[in-house]
Amino acid sequence: MQTIPSPAGAPPRDRTDAALLEVDNLTMEYEVDGGNVSAVSNVSFALHAGESLGLVGESGCGKTSVAMSLLRLQADNARFREGEIRLNGEDLLPLSEAEMRTHRWKDISMVFQGAMNAWNPVQRVGAQILEAINLHIKPRPTAAEARKRMEDLFNLVGVDPKMLDRYPHEFSGGMRQRAIIAMALSCDPQIIIADEPTTALDVIVQDQILAQLLRIQKELGMAIIYISHDIAVIAEVTQKIAVMYAGRIVEIGPTEEVFANPRHPYGYLLLHSAPSITGPRRRLAPLKGEPPNLLNPPTGCRFHPRCPFATEKCVVESPPLQEVSPGHSVECWHWDKVPSMAEEGHA
Amino acid sequence: MAKFITKRVAQMLLLFIVFLTVVFFLLEAQPGDLTQQYIGNPEIPPEQKAVLAERLGLDKPVGARYLAYMGNFFTGNFGNSLSQWPRPVSEMILEALPRTLVLFLSATLLAYYLGFVTGKVLAWRRGKFTEYALTLGGVGLYTVFYPWFALLMIWGFGFMLTDWVGFRVFPINKFIDVQDWVGSPFSANHVFLRMITVAALSMLAAAITTMIARRRLELAPALRVRNFAFLAGVLYPFVYFAMSPMRPYAADIFHHTLLPVMTLSLVAFAGIMLLTRASMLETLREDFILTARAKGLSEKVIRDRHAARNALLPVVTSLVLALAFVIGGGIITETVFSWPGIGLLLLSAVTLEDIPLAIGCLSIIAVLALFGHLVADIIYMYLDPRIRYQ
Amino acid sequence: MTDLDTKATPSLRMREPEPPGHELLEPEPLWRVRLRLMRKTFGRNWKLFARNKIGLVGLTIIGIFALMALLHPILMDRVWDPAIYDPVKGYDAVITDFVIVEEVTDPFHEISLADAQLETNPFVEVGETVSIPLQPAPPSKAHWLGTDPVGRDILSQLMYSTRAAFALGAIAAIFAVFIATTIGSMAAFYGGWLDAVLMRFADLVLLVPLIPILIVVSALFNLNLPLLGILLGVLSGFGGTAIVLKSQALSVTVKPFVDAARVAGGTNRHIIFRHIIPNVLPLSFLYMMFTVTDAISLEATLSFLGLMNTPMSWGIMIYTTHSQGYLLSGTSYWWLLIPAGMAVTLVAASFFLVGRAMDEVINPRLRRR
Ligand SMILES: Nc1ncnc2c1ncn2[C@@H]1O[C@H](COP(=O)(O)OP(=O)(O)O)[C@@H](O)[C@H]1O
Ligand SMILES: [Mg+2]
Repeated sequence: MQTIPSPAGAPPRDRTDAALLEVDNLTMEYEVDGGNVSAVSNVSFALHAGESLGLVGESGCGKTSVAMSLLRLQADNARFREGEIRLNGEDLLPLSEAEMRTHRWKDISMVFQGAMNAWNPVQRVGAQILEAINLHIKPRPTAAEARKRMEDLFNLVGVDPKMLDRYPHEFSGGMRQRAIIAMALSCDPQIIIADEPTTALDVIVQDQILAQLLRIQKELGMAIIYISHDIAVIAEVTQKIAVMYAGRIVEIGPTEEVFANPRHPYGYLLLHSAPSITGPRRRLAPLKGEPPNLLNPPTGCRFHPRCPFATEKCVVESPPLQEVSPGHSVECWHWDKVPSMAEEGHA
Repeated sequence: MAKFITKRVAQMLLLFIVFLTVVFFLLEAQPGDLTQQYIGNPEIPPEQKAVLAERLGLDKPVGARYLAYMGNFFTGNFGNSLSQWPRPVSEMILEALPRTLVLFLSATLLAYYLGFVTGKVLAWRRGKFTEYALTLGGVGLYTVFYPWFALLMIWGFGFMLTDWVGFRVFPINKFIDVQDWVGSPFSANHVFLRMITVAALSMLAAAITTMIARRRLELAPALRVRNFAFLAGVLYPFVYFAMSPMRPYAADIFHHTLLPVMTLSLVAFAGIMLLTRASMLETLREDFILTARAKGLSEKVIRDRHAARNALLPVVTSLVLALAFVIGGGIITETVFSWPGIGLLLLSAVTLEDIPLAIGCLSIIAVLALFGHLVADIIYMYLDPRIRYQ
Repeated sequence: MTDLDTKATPSLRMREPEPPGHELLEPEPLWRVRLRLMRKTFGRNWKLFARNKIGLVGLTIIGIFALMALLHPILMDRVWDPAIYDPVKGYDAVITDFVIVEEVTDPFHEISLADAQLETNPFVEVGETVSIPLQPAPPSKAHWLGTDPVGRDILSQLMYSTRAAFALGAIAAIFAVFIATTIGSMAAFYGGWLDAVLMRFADLVLLVPLIPILIVVSALFNLNLPLLGILLGVLSGFGGTAIVLKSQALSVTVKPFVDAARVAGGTNRHIIFRHIIPNVLPLSFLYMMFTVTDAISLEATLSFLGLMNTPMSWGIMIYTTHSQGYLLSGTSYWWLLIPAGMAVTLVAASFFLVGRAMDEVINPRLRRR
């Protein structure tokens, strides 16, 4: 286990040390009746051991699609067009299903959006966790060892270990989600993907689980990809943040930096459309219009129909990802104008 | 759990009483009435008529008649057949019942087992040629006009196949070949009952062995024990009769059961298969299937342990409907194959206007349906923890 | 992945009535607006329905049979001689030459000596040719599908029976849907003991196997087509269909527009007739299809068992074949068994398939992704 500095004060990592997970130019589309839904488009990011990355964006911008792609659990109609997903340097996309299965849960585990239904209703919760342990932990632990492990995990996430012998319907919503987290931890994964893990829960439980996740991540030191449409939540738990819009990562950088100096108009508007919980009170900026239909996304910069700075160039040409400060990159032709938004009455 | 079962049994009993009441009013509502049928029957001696009138309360008001009717039922007194006077109806039913039970049970079990297994695989092979072919065939079998299908089966397997291979592979009707039984030391019923008993006991033994293995052993060896136990359970009756003096007679009866059971099973199978497929497809969209895939489980484990186990629930619920189907189909099967069970008895009772016998048969069929429903409920409860631990 | 369902085209069931304010703004009369909306919904649903090829095949088969049913009275009136072609009373002796032989190998051209003596006179001998009426006669120009064992035209019987089957299906379906919609909506809307009683009763009806009941009923009453139709309609209406429609109605009663109507002071009657029933109706139509399937095959089954009191139907045709002993004579008498059996199977299956295709329109969860 390594010691992890507190997320908020983490210095930008050294770029040269090998990343745990590198997503490179990932492009994925869904084939549907009327054409292709461009759900993930040229997405690149890197995740280092012990790091926590937040993926944020409006609903429907492709966050879940990215997450599913990492585990190669994409829908049947999904097609990878380009790119690589490298885990410890090994590209996952060309692997066979059988090879891929050895990585699932062992290396990358997942906490799903729909906590309520993520458990098989007719199997005891313990049996479902045991299934993962027996599959992935080598050498295979004895029944007693596995039991001990599960009990420890339940204690860690704050659920009574007796509940291992119960069925999912006997758990409350929050308990179910905690148990899922326990299951996600059960095989010591290097990365946990948490896709809107608290969205379906009530606010108090949300906070508790969030705090717990934060604590556990610090304690055990695995990397985490935290997905949410709620930027306030992301701010609390991540060191690095990637803002997605219409299937693309439009802004990525250290959380502190992005919050302080958003350089993409969308990032800016997204930040200012949510009430701040940490910073001073500010006026909410309106984010006008609807996210685009990804069946035929806008030409050029995908944000241009909603962008206050859009010019002819934005309509025609897609902007490159430019590094605007160390570790902070933006996909925008007009990133330098964004700071002026505050003065122009957008906030 | 015991409470649940008691409650269900009480409900069933209530339903049965309602059912009997409805039948009673049907009888009352028919043009003419029961009196005429008894009075008019020349076979019934005059002094018996008085006893009958007494027993049925024929001269009393409706209320008393109703009570007499109910009382007779619950004491197992179905009266005497008019067409085979004075045989008691209960005796005739008892004779026919095992044959019907065998037909229903074996068809239901076969259809369920095969239908579930095929449906499960079918859903997994979405979009493959086998899926289309089997689904289409299933819909065809499911919607085919059953009596016609049974006739075609006789035609195909009884005649064409016989012509083709040169000997009779399947006998086409009746329960036994009478000439083979001339001089037999056993009665057909005796042999048949022995067959049922042996088969039931050996399956029971297999089930108990499996249950013990489940408790005592790990999953993989327990599964092996189960497979072995059921194989042995199926094979044992054959060994038993091969070594018994009843061999030729048992073989004759078994031979005669093949085609009717096959015909009825095939049609019931189609329905179960389609239902399982639909249920599987529905289950495969559930989030917990995604969890299972994310855990890195193999396709087969996901299919059998997670998807199929959940997809089974609606299929078990459908047992009620399937039962109605098997009962209706069973009557037709018995007619087409001249299989002397309850269905044929009912039909002949109706054609001969033997109302007591008809009502007796109908009630027994209703009891069977209710009982099947109860069994389905218990299985469901066993399979679904959400109900088990209420 | 889960987002998909919400993305799907709004289904019939999700269709909410236009808000009243919207209607007021329209200068055109209300019925025209309704009609336009209906046409639009219909067009959209038709497109969804037409995607299901099997449903289209079913619809086509139903259409062909409907045409046959319509054509029959015209043919009887204009083209066919009732004395010959009447499905019940017609008779045509197809006079055929038979050679008298010792052993018959071809039953359509040869006759045994004993039979020939019985049919003509006792003095005929082997080798002679005799002219006697052949029945059942194989298909010919006069009788496209041959004649039955008593010399009646099979095609005419088939067409006549189609009308009977459709009529029976219609009666059963209308009764079933009327009853089921009413009690389903009431049970869902009022809940409480009414719901409990109706649903218990539905359980009972569902539980008791239909065929044995109908067999007994046929012994007690004069079971003809209208009675059977009503009986089936009532049984299905109180049984399975009621249960399904009730759960559908229940999902409507919790929709916001029902609350809105209630708050706006809508009477119970208004809410049931204006909001609940219209939303349950699509599913009712669907169950009409399944009721028709059941009715047609049940009638044929009862006829086949010889229990129906009806002059002619597909089931009676098979019954005649069966009772006259032509069933097991191999392929040589195919026209006695195949047309009628195919007709029952095809029509029952078509209604079933159309029902399934409609199900996919109404129930977006079933749609292929
Ligand atoms: N299986 C699929 N087929 C077609 N389109 C899909 C499929 N799954 C998701 N989409 C579409 O892809 C886009 C991205 O979806 P998703 O990744 O779920 O976004 P998010 O998680 O950010 O809400 C959405 O427009 C969604 O409608
Ligand atoms: Mg999502």
